[in-house]
Amino acid sequence: MIYSTLGYYSLIFGLVISLPLFFFSTKNFKNQYPLDFKIIIFSFIQLILVIISFLGLILSFVYSDFSNETVFNNSHTTKPLFYKITGTWGNHEGSLLLWLLVLTLFIFIFLIKSEGLLKKYRILTLLFQQIIIIGFFVFLIKSSNPFNYLIPAPKEGLGLNPILQDPALAIHPPILYLGYVGSSIIFSSVLAATTLNYISNTWATHIKKWVLLSWVFLTLGILLGSIWAYYELGWGGFWFWDPVENVSLMPWLALTTLLHCILVLEKRYQLKSWVIILSISTFALSMCGTFLVRSGILNSIHTFANDPERGLYILTFLFILILISLLIFFIFHKEDKHKFNSFFLFSKETAIVINNWFMMYFLAVVLIGTVYPIFLEVISSENISVGPPFYNKLIIPFLIPFLIFMAIGPQLRWIKTRLEKKLNLILLFVISLLVSFFIIRNLDINFLINTVLIGSALYLFFITIRDFILKKNINISQNIAHFGFSLFILSILFNNFFSSEVITNLKVGEKFNNDRYEIFFKDLKKFEKKNYVSFVGKFSIKENNKESNMEPELRIYNQPNIITSEADIKTSFLSDKFITINTVNNKEYFNVRYQVKPFMIWIWLSVLLISLGGVISLFKKYYEK
Amino acid sequence: MKKFSLFIIILLSLNINSSQADEIELQNKITKNLRCLICQGQSVFDSDSDFANSLKIVVRNKIDEGFTENEINDFLIQKYGEWILYDPKFNKNTYLLWLLPLLIFLLGGAIIFKKLIKINK
Repeated sequence: MIYSTLGYYSLIFGLVISLPLFFFSTKNFKNQYPLDFKIIIFSFIQLILVIISFLGLILSFVYSDFSNETVFNNSHTTKPLFYKITGTWGNHEGSLLLWLLVLTLFIFIFLIKSEGLLKKYRILTLLFQQIIIIGFFVFLIKSSNPFNYLIPAPKEGLGLNPILQDPALAIHPPILYLGYVGSSIIFSSVLAATTLNYISNTWATHIKKWVLLSWVFLTLGILLGSIWAYYELGWGGFWFWDPVENVSLMPWLALTTLLHCILVLEKRYQLKSWVIILSISTFALSMCGTFLVRSGILNSIHTFANDPERGLYILTFLFILILISLLIFFIFHKEDKHKFNSFFLFSKETAIVINNWFMMYFLAVVLIGTVYPIFLEVISSENISVGPPFYNKLIIPFLIPFLIFMAIGPQLRWIKTRLEKKLNLILLFVISLLVSFFIIRNLDINFLINTVLIGSALYLFFITIRDFILKKNINISQNIAHFGFSLFILSILFNNFFSSEVITNLKVGEKFNNDRYEIFFKDLKKFEKKNYVSFVGKFSIKENNKESNMEPELRIYNQPNIITSEADIKTSFLSDKFITINTVNNKEYFNVRYQVKPFMIWIWLSVLLISLGGVISLFKKYYEK
Repeated sequence: MKKFSLFIIILLSLNINSSQADEIELQNKITKNLRCLICQGQSVFDSDSDFANSLKIVVRNKIDEGFTENEINDFLIQKYGEWILYDPKFNKNTYLLWLLPLLIFLLGGAIIFKKLIKINK
């Protein structure tokens, strides 16, 4: 009880702190003095208050204080301590409080880290960020208060959805939110810089750090969610083109585009308006992500969090923010009159513009695929589903030129490149196609498109490896990220082509045979755990005379009463073995699903490599030519 | 003669086996493209719910009756609506869905091309 009260009042006081912040900022904005230290102090106090509020919520969860409605709805006394804590952000109210926490944390870091930049710019960024922060404070206090009382206090809580009781998913939201909210700093900063006509090379170098930071967290956040889906949802896929996955992918695509074109602004002082538009849309997409997930508009596996009224608030809030940014863009933004237009056809700039062009197309596909069904339903009340085949058809063909440009782009120089020395690039492409041809030859798949597709991915793969050898440390971060991407595409393609699976019904003591595998259901053991009963199946699987034991599990949770299927996965460098069991109506039998998935681990590793590129770039002092 | 008939029988059974494998493959292909209506974001192929299992049987029977993939899809759309297909059909409801991304791509290309031409002049 005490922790909830504490949390609630620090939230109120946190909102009140915005007043002195506004007061001192506007005063300081007009006068000649350097940045008023009081502004930093008040930002710090606001941050501390939000932290206290957040701790209050965590402690309410830890002590299972069911007089708090959020705790009652999402926790249970028998839940392990770890999941009690992570349950704090596994729900709507808590996750918004986390949003707010990161918002205040980031603006505080921004204020400290932006020393040496224009004072007016720093203050204005703070003010824009404060608008967002106030929006979230009001939203939290008014319509999603995490500290609502329940009187009388119930004896027991409703529990957390068991599929969310998982280590990867426990840290997935915080990491993802660091990425989402990082884009708020970019948003506030770009509005401030536009108003002050401060968009410049210096500004680009400074904001690039924030772009990289958000991008790394967003990438890792999506990766964690994907890994979780792979082993927890139990059908062995890792990306379903589910609307909720898509809404996290969209800001990622926008941010990746921004990451590239901000380089052009930094090095060549061009694409100013484009950078502004991208920064605004990245943040809008991040907000949309929160809105779409939390409003329950989407029909998806994530609809455990829904409430249309809250969605309406976020939507209105977002609408106001976009309106403000559009006004600022049209009133304050001026194209430079004396800019030196030197965009040559064969230059790094052009390559980056082409990258942006494709990225925007991918973004358009994902955006339209996600929102179109909603609009169609509203307009004509007809329901359609947009699933993986749609995205595959529209994205895969475009990947081919995209990969090729991705390989060639970094070979070009800024301003202008001569092409004479680039013959070996073509040679390498021919080699890649040949290698791809020999891989594809014996497979029963669409020959032409796959040869070219794998060929292009291999091309990027070879070129980045060549650059590791030839250029050593020059541009290493970019090269690692691009290498990671080629590995990513290759792993997904090979994973698709070479996967095999067996689905059958077995009871204890039975065997399944086919020409490749022998699956023997040896035994079934029952265990009583703290908040669930577990049935572990003992299987032995023979393939090529090699035998391995696997133990998939079925869990029957007590609160809420839900059965989950826990896959047993044996990971090796070349492939994953994946087995799940499920109940069948006929009680003695279990539905057994065994899959062999090649290169699975390389999908995760390659995404890690991609983010590693971002991390290196973040800590690197200078961006080399 | 006996050997010959044995050979024929083996040949036939092999044939049946391979056509069975084809049928299963077709069934998987179709069910992967169907939404399990009572699940959340799962295909019929991936789901183990009663609905998905009965739908697998329906698809299986239709294949046995000699229906093609398209005919089976049409049959299911009639019964459950377009909501069930993950691969939306190209019709008056979905012209924009399919074409808008491509139009955006062309438009973006046109803008870039125009700028490049203008600058290089």
